[in-house]
Amino acid sequence: MSRVLQSELLKLRTTRTALGFAVAGVLLVLLFVLVGVLAGNPTTIANKRAILSIGDPLAVVLLLFGVVGATAEYRHRTVAAGALIVPSRLRLSIGRMIAYGLAGLAVGALMLVVAFAIGIPLLAGKQGPSLTGSDYAQAIGGSLLACALGAMLGVAVGVLVANQVAAVVGTLVFLFVADPLIVAASSEVGKFLFGNALMAIGGRGGANEHRLAFGAAVAVILAWTAVALVIAGWVDSRRDIA
Amino acid sequence: MAGDTSGTAIRVARLTKRYGTVAAVNDLSFEVRAGAVTGFLGPNGAGKTTTLRILLGLARPTSGEATIFGQRFASLADPVRTVGASLEISGFHPGRSGRNHLRSLAVLGGLPSSRVEEVLKLVEMTGAADRRAGKYSMGMRQRLALAATLLGDPKLLVLDEPANGLDPQGIRWLRDFLRAMAAEGRTVLISSHVLAEVAQTVDDVIVIHHGHLVDEGPVDRLSGPKQVSVRSPRLADLAAAIERAGGQVSRAEEGVLLVSGMDAPQVGDLAFSAGLPLHELAPRAASLEEVFLELTTDDPGTSP
Repeated sequence: MSRVLQSELLKLRTTRTALGFAVAGVLLVLLFVLVGVLAGNPTTIANKRAILSIGDPLAVVLLLFGVVGATAEYRHRTVAAGALIVPSRLRLSIGRMIAYGLAGLAVGALMLVVAFAIGIPLLAGKQGPSLTGSDYAQAIGGSLLACALGAMLGVAVGVLVANQVAAVVGTLVFLFVADPLIVAASSEVGKFLFGNALMAIGGRGGANEHRLAFGAAVAVILAWTAVALVIAGWVDSRRDIA
Repeated sequence: MAGDTSGTAIRVARLTKRYGTVAAVNDLSFEVRAGAVTGFLGPNGAGKTTTLRILLGLARPTSGEATIFGQRFASLADPVRTVGASLEISGFHPGRSGRNHLRSLAVLGGLPSSRVEEVLKLVEMTGAADRRAGKYSMGMRQRLALAATLLGDPKLLVLDEPANGLDPQGIRWLRDFLRAMAAEGRTVLISSHVLAEVAQTVDDVIVIHHGHLVDEGPVDRLSGPKQVSVRSPRLADLAAAIERAGGQVSRAEEGVLLVSGMDAPQVGDLAFSAGLPLHELAPRAASLEEVFLELTTDDPGTSP
């Protein structure tokens, strides 16, 4: 497995895809923090912590990063090159998933640096109680976890769908159309969807009636990832690859 | 690389692959000798790539099996050191350099990075290795694909249409490259839809058409029955004499007979004894291309 992981990490470092997503992440975080502080006028602990909890918006970017990375293997037919060396496609997919999870952590850490570097000075000038060490720890932990799990889940989705356009469009439609519709129909069901669970892990406010508690959300995302990987592994093992 | 020149390297047994109602490969069986260079021939759409993909575990057969050194590809203990395969010249990320593409495969196969430099040198790509693969010409992509097949110094090379898109210089380079691989004792299976590309390189040929085997054996045998071309001002008399002696004649062009069933000295002796003048007497074999086309051209009405 270590060879697969090393190879996947090398592949991640040797194209501009990861860099492109990191730049998109920086821009998103800048926008998120600046708009949150300047337009949101945060004065409570929850609101201030939410400004620094960039896992909420960033997890979606990393989810797409995983989808794009995994489907690129099929799009550019590099999946066959790997399978000719390691015939177990499941092993390749798991290695890829771990590599993208680590990349998600790295990108999340970089984005946290950006968010903290801009957000903390801006928040210091706001009224209300100051954030404590546990608030920072929650923002850091939740954001990193959401980024890593988002990227891993994205890889599983990508392996399952294989077609890059279909996977990206399908993911976006699910997150921004199906997900809100399901939540509107039943928030009890909606909070178990992976988009909402990612928000609960990386995002703001902790548990409320529309969000799972942190631990429950982590469990839900892990379950989504495991289910997607099992199905993807089964589909991929039966798929003819070009 | 220890070349294994005994036994069977590849065995395909009653292999069938259906896509819906279409049989891409249909009850195909053949063997590839270890240590030989074998041409896997057939027109476009004959089922060559599908067969190779099944052989390499990239596609599932509907029935039958294909084995490499007696094992299915997925069961090979060390695939990268056993088989080097190139099925797609576009099997790399266009944004990644050739060197990094090979490095990622070397790491995956547990091979030292020095091996990447060795194979780049072998395929004469060292100078272009840091350019993005998407910027490579067709010939450079083929070379990069060949470099990837050689990473593990494998006993068996499986190359699918490696001459596709190459210019004449590239084809000559490929021919020399394959000869060098064969000289090292490797088994090579090379597919092509153009016999001329591989005819000078291969020992054996396997010819398939519509997913069926139509011929296999040493390439010399594929060259067809020997004939004698003979020119004479008394062609009718000569034809009659040959037929009386047991030969068969056909008219090749104006003033020329093609004689089967007799060799050139026999035809010459016969003409001399009959007092018939000869202006030309030459042995002639049907070209490989003619035989290949004959084997793989549909009769009207028989095409599926």
